[in-house]
Amino acid sequence: MANVVPVDAYSTGEWYPGYKPEFFDMPWIVDPAGPFRPGDENQFWFLDFHWSRGLTPLGSTLWSGDGYCWGTQHAAETLPLPPGRGVTARFAGTHLYGSALPETDPREIEARAGRIATNLPHFLTNYRSIWESGRDELENTWSYFRGIDFTKVRGDELPNLLAQGRRYHKRAMEIHFGVMYPMLANFLGFYGACADMGINPNEIGKFLQGEDTKIMETDRKLYELALKARAAGLEGVFQAHDGGQLRDALARHGGAASLWLTEFDDFLQIYGWRAEATCDVGVPSWIEDNTIPLDLVKTFLQRRDPHDFEAAASNAWAERQEAIENARAGLTREEQAVFDAGLASNQEANFPWWQDDHNYYIDLKVMLPLRWGCQELANRVKADRQDDMLYLFWPELRDVASGDRPYDAGLRGLVDARRQYFDHWHTRRSEMPKVLGTIPEAVEDPILIEIFGLNPQSIKAVQNPEAAEQTTISGVAAAKGVARGVARVLQSSDELHRLEPGSVLVCESTSPNWTPAFGKIAGAVCDGGGMLSHAAIVGREYGVPTVTATGVATLSIADGDEVEVDGSNGVVTILTRAADVASAVRSPEVPA
Amino acid sequence: MTAAPADAGVEPAPERHSCEAIAWLDEVAPEEAVACGGAKMGRLAELLASGVQVPQGFAVTVEAYRRHCRDSGLDGRIDEILSRVGPDPSDAEVEHASAAVRELFASTPISEHLTARLTEAYEELCLRCVDVNVPVAVRSSATGEDAADASFAGIFDTYLGVSGIERVLDSVRRCWGSLFTARALAYRLRRGISHHDMPIAVGVIELIHARASGVAFSVHPVTGKRDRIVVETSWGWGEAIVQGLVDPDHVEIGKADGRVLRYDVAHKKVVSAFDFAVGAVTEIEMPAKLADRRVLDDEQVGAIAAAVTAIEEHYGHPVDVEWVIGRHRRAGDPVCIVQTRPVTTAEPEPAVSAASPPGGPAYDPVALAQKYLFSGRPIPGR
Repeated sequence: MANVVPVDAYSTGEWYPGYKPEFFDMPWIVDPAGPFRPGDENQFWFLDFHWSRGLTPLGSTLWSGDGYCWGTQHAAETLPLPPGRGVTARFAGTHLYGSALPETDPREIEARAGRIATNLPHFLTNYRSIWESGRDELENTWSYFRGIDFTKVRGDELPNLLAQGRRYHKRAMEIHFGVMYPMLANFLGFYGACADMGINPNEIGKFLQGEDTKIMETDRKLYELALKARAAGLEGVFQAHDGGQLRDALARHGGAASLWLTEFDDFLQIYGWRAEATCDVGVPSWIEDNTIPLDLVKTFLQRRDPHDFEAAASNAWAERQEAIENARAGLTREEQAVFDAGLASNQEANFPWWQDDHNYYIDLKVMLPLRWGCQELANRVKADRQDDMLYLFWPELRDVASGDRPYDAGLRGLVDARRQYFDHWHTRRSEMPKVLGTIPEAVEDPILIEIFGLNPQSIKAVQNPEAAEQTTISGVAAAKGVARGVARVLQSSDELHRLEPGSVLVCESTSPNWTPAFGKIAGAVCDGGGMLSHAAIVGREYGVPTVTATGVATLSIADGDEVEVDGSNGVVTILTRAADVASAVRSPEVPA
Repeated sequence: MTAAPADAGVEPAPERHSCEAIAWLDEVAPEEAVACGGAKMGRLAELLASGVQVPQGFAVTVEAYRRHCRDSGLDGRIDEILSRVGPDPSDAEVEHASAAVRELFASTPISEHLTARLTEAYEELCLRCVDVNVPVAVRSSATGEDAADASFAGIFDTYLGVSGIERVLDSVRRCWGSLFTARALAYRLRRGISHHDMPIAVGVIELIHARASGVAFSVHPVTGKRDRIVVETSWGWGEAIVQGLVDPDHVEIGKADGRVLRYDVAHKKVVSAFDFAVGAVTEIEMPAKLADRRVLDDEQVGAIAAAVTAIEEHYGHPVDVEWVIGRHRRAGDPVCIVQTRPVTTAEPEPAVSAASPPGGPAYDPVALAQKYLFSGRPIPGR
């Protein structure tokens, strides 16, 4: 008998103040997004870690509509996935829950299987040109937006520019999921074959690790800047100020600091067009807000023993070669033929690599042009704050931009009320149920298992009413090694500056914007995420012991607890509760 | 092939189409071997003829068993006991009848004529082995279509380390009697098979002094993968493995190139060893120093794999074998095969390669995605 967590509390019909159902009027393919509706408890919903801050009115509708309910459903129809039709979305307050859409008609499943039999090989044969042409198309559109001075755009052109910004994001999601589904299908077919041939599943991820990504490249460049800051004697400035004050402090310091800032700005022009969140129009880029990269430089400087990126990369590569050799040795000649060809196919269309690399081109920047448009519009209508427009829904935004509707006291009041609604739900994030609706014992959708870490054990774990009291947590052994440290439980990457070197990161899940943190932490523990999740991949690349798919780490572990992360066995132990650390002496880092 | 009809006259004259009381492994015609020596001994004779190393020995033939039952009056007394058992008897009734029949076999002496033939054969075996009172294995070797079936595996008696003609005669009678164990009897009653339709032969073969023994499969017994040979082994004789008393070392070998794919050393708690005081192979605690030691080296694994491959090729279907590495075997010598059967446990499935069409590429991403991702079953390893 499946456990049902009711959605009644969220399917009241109430949502953001002034919300009307037509705000979700946008094309979708199988199932439209919206706030929870009565009857939704018949489906299985999981709290989506990508948006742990909650989403603004504009962010929530555009992501759920153009991302999940267009992008994933479009890709699931195009490939197609035989038994799956993509992902749909619901909101509980500002928090997004996802659900996989199954195809249940056996005749349809068979017809779809016939189509993927043609399309998947075609994709794999042409993977490089398909992905690179999609990426280049998006980069061209990006260049188009970068070439526009938003402050000089004529008023009557602004609505069109906003529409183009939205369209850029939507097209990016077609490309994103159009590449992701076939790559994942190829990877998981290979994964299943490997496991069936007796290869230890923990080894399979290693076969594809060790290749450089744009995200790792960004981390290295930032780290080089930290070393330059140290060489220029700027450590004192960094230690004396927080990220928010650092830019001014460095400017005041002058001399070497000014030179350093010039180099920092050059870095940002290449790597700074990234927001601190996946596809969230509500979150600034590094260029707009220097706080995050400057805080990262600051924490890099706090680390006494420097992180050796080169050594980590060559270790990852050596580990990969060794894992491949060991796996091959245990296979018959017939199996080796399957393994070798499958490995070659997966090394060419390398899903774990793509899963990190694509964020530079898509997830972390595709919402920026729309954000710039919103900010420019806010300036022109003399909004109270620059982010006011993010609290409008798309039809309202379009009308304000075209001048059909004045940004008057009525709208301003609504924006204020919605801002309060957002803040209210932001503080409730940690109480949000991890799962809602009809909870199965296991899920079959590969993306839910591999990316979200919804395996039978984590699904069981999130239903444990005593989760907050438990001192041993198990999950997926995502990156090997054992480490001890003080836990830092973060709601979002806004709090990355709270990570001291040698601390243990505890969060719902990580995204590429969290990657720099892996250069300084001792261990990582996530509620979600399978072997292919961001934390698992980056944990392996950086040699940081990591346990994912615990379901409840953010509930069970309190900020300041001393914990041991056993990434080889997938176990996290709470050694001392923060409340019991009377002397408040920080535990020394224990090397893995 | 079926055994000759046993309706000849009282005269013990030689019969056409039937064997003598004794059939030596190296003398019986391979095509008649199963019919007169039973499945187990018959296949050993076939193996020997095809060039596989097997122990020296002879079968006490099906015909000898028939004559014993007929001439001693056992047939009538057995029929009398069985006639009192209905077609759908209770366990207790079967047990009772089984015990009564086996007691008859134990107490009915073997005729002078057959005793003389057996004594002669045993002395010949001693001579061939250059030993006095050579220890032998006395093994039941059943006949009939069902005898090859896995449901009969281990159902009949085997005595290891039997020494001296008196004990050999005694063991032969017990093996005959084991045709009437409760399990065998119940099986035949359920299926309406007469014991006359599946008479039994008995093998008397040289006991190889085993340093190590085990079983080997020319196909993975669980997954059915045919690209590998699976070997399970422990120190001493193979009884502890066959009876499941010891957790054996597990070895897998690629059939195409003979590479050892994996060797899992088990903690082996029990060993079948020769007890000179009792004069039999018995199960005792494994010496601590041997329990965790790897049993086979690569050369030995290769010799076992070579023998299994040859036997599979000879029969043209997957087989399992019991093998022994004797104390005096040197590197390069073949291993000794003491039993072989067709594999009946696993659905033959060439696992991964089934995912790709014959003649197609080795790696078929569509078939694999269908098999592991879109099948509605959990992905292996998850």
